[in-house]
Amino acid sequence: MRDTVLITGGTGMVGQDLLPKICSQEIVERVIVLTRGNGVLPAHQKIEAVRGDVRLPDLGLRHDLKQSVVKATTTIIHGAAETSFSSALSAARAVNVGGTENIMRFAADCPRLKAFCHLSTVYVCGKRTGTIREEDLEHNSGFVNAYEQSKYEAEQFVASQAQRLPTTVVRLSTVLGRSLDGAVTKTGAIHYALRFFFHSLAPLVPGKKESPVDLIALDYAVDSIVLAALDQFTAGSTWHVCGSSDAFSLEQLLEETLQLFYKNRPAWRKRAIEKPAIVNLETFYLFVRSVEELGESVLKNSVAVLKSFAPQLAYPKLISDASTQLVLQRSGLARPEIRDYYPKVIRFLLENNWEARPQEQARL
Amino acid sequence: MDFSTATHLMDLGISAIEYVLPSKSLSVRELEDAGLLVSRAEKLQNFGFERCYISDESADELALRAAAALLDNYGIRPESVDLLLYAGAIASSHHVAGGHFLSNFNYPATKLQFELGLTRASVAGISQAGCMGLTYAVKFAGDFVRSNAEAQCVLCVSADVLPRGVQREILYNVISDGACALMVTRNSTQNRILAHRSVTKGYYWDCIARKNEILAAYFPTAKNLIQDLLGGAECPPEDLRMVLPHNVSYRSWEILLDLIGVRKEQLFATNISQKGHVIAADNWINLKDATTANLLNPGDKLLAFNFGFGANWAATLIEH
Repeated sequence: MRDTVLITGGTGMVGQDLLPKICSQEIVERVIVLTRGNGVLPAHQKIEAVRGDVRLPDLGLRHDLKQSVVKATTTIIHGAAETSFSSALSAARAVNVGGTENIMRFAADCPRLKAFCHLSTVYVCGKRTGTIREEDLEHNSGFVNAYEQSKYEAEQFVASQAQRLPTTVVRLSTVLGRSLDGAVTKTGAIHYALRFFFHSLAPLVPGKKESPVDLIALDYAVDSIVLAALDQFTAGSTWHVCGSSDAFSLEQLLEETLQLFYKNRPAWRKRAIEKPAIVNLETFYLFVRSVEELGESVLKNSVAVLKSFAPQLAYPKLISDASTQLVLQRSGLARPEIRDYYPKVIRFLLENNWEARPQEQARL
Repeated sequence: MDFSTATHLMDLGISAIEYVLPSKSLSVRELEDAGLLVSRAEKLQNFGFERCYISDESADELALRAAAALLDNYGIRPESVDLLLYAGAIASSHHVAGGHFLSNFNYPATKLQFELGLTRASVAGISQAGCMGLTYAVKFAGDFVRSNAEAQCVLCVSADVLPRGVQREILYNVISDGACALMVTRNSTQNRILAHRSVTKGYYWDCIARKNEILAAYFPTAKNLIQDLLGGAECPPEDLRMVLPHNVSYRSWEILLDLIGVRKEQLFATNISQKGHVIAADNWINLKDATTANLLNPGDKLLAFNFGFGANWAATLIEH
């Protein structure tokens, strides 16, 4: 019998590109997408949308529907998450921890389950510095935002279930856009920050010049997830899907971005906008506090975005993907180089006036 | 950044400084009560402001008093002055008020030349440089003396008085009226100007529409400019005896000091709270006060940094 894959988070940035990829797998017969009904799913004969919510017991499914899904499911890819960096911890926990607990209880009822793939973030390492390896999880270094903390707690729960369920964890780095054409299907904090830089509204960035800025291409994330959940599934494994040693340093990223703005918008040069200055955390927060006191809404918005994630750069770390690369290389999946696709993403963002293009969905 | 205005003025210095502030001074609480603030007084106090000065005299009257004091106190013969540069940030500082249209041509600079008896002095005004006016005057004075073998000294004067009843807060800074006069002199042994950098970014010319962008651009531009100045002069930040600020908020200086690697103790911050932001005169009032307070020794390296609408940034390295 071929596989039936249950996916949560199918309408998110990664999910939108993941669905067509999963559908294209010969071994996959059905793709059941749990959706709250707030996103558009691609039309495909393998895809079945079921309305539900990971925050609810039994995912909010009617009993008969639940039984039908439970009976069929062989693989679960759990991607549903509250990904906003500015969410309150309670809100982040409700989706990211509560949702994980619910889907894993659901998974325990699936008699044919072969694989439970939990999508996470490399930033469960929070404020740790130095080299972060796939096998690392527990720490007491603290977190930059509630997203990181809630995903960390979710991973702890996944780990606690590893004896009962065939689990794998895929930790993704910050997804920038597609490597082939630079398309951005959904904008996030990194895209907003670049936009603020372009508009002279990002004066300061916390961190160190040499702080790695780990970014990945969307297609690389998707291909890695497919391998982790299907072809190369190994119970108990953790994957780091990240830029690792290919990451720009913060100083390189800012300079590269400036040069790309010049190249793509020659007239922009005459604005003579400076690169954001790299500062320590104390000074960054003093600036943040000052702007918040000023109450200038435009600058306040910019600072709100920056403070939600950029402090991570003040905790420099190398996300190691050594174990993951062994599997990926064996499977013939090469990591796109940031120097190749970053210019494409910047060009895409400029050409689309900093808007994402959800319609740029991968073809089925 | 192309700092095409970089200069090395090893043979020039500021040999004399005098300033005049109005007799009337109000606390930020009193300003708030009088409806002369945009923000709450408490916010401005958090940013380091306590008082400002408000003049009942016109800008040209303050300028005359400052310049006359300079000539008198330093024993300078009026006819020895080669050039008078008169700086004012706002348009009303560049004409002597009168009801007739032609009063727009009644220039305070030439009035000053007459009143002071500067019979040999050429006269020009510097406007459209915001709070940078007096710093530009110093820079242009240096250029003038260097390019004129006979020239010995240039009198630089700035004066601004905000229109009566106008709010005293600009971009979260508390503004004072006042005037400052200083003499840029060839072969001065005092306050030698070692290096100067300035940059103008016209993108920010519209200070209303680009208010947020100006607030944001201030820091990285200032950082790069100052670091370029100090690097070019081989003067590491720790070698600075003192930073002579323009009297914008102390909060903003805390941020900028960290960006340029200067300790808070190196900042001459006293005047920010008590004198407020005296438009174009701050750096030089602070130099005068630090000197009077015996805080400086010969050979001390001083950094004067300034920003003005336009937008303009400037930094000057001085050897006391």
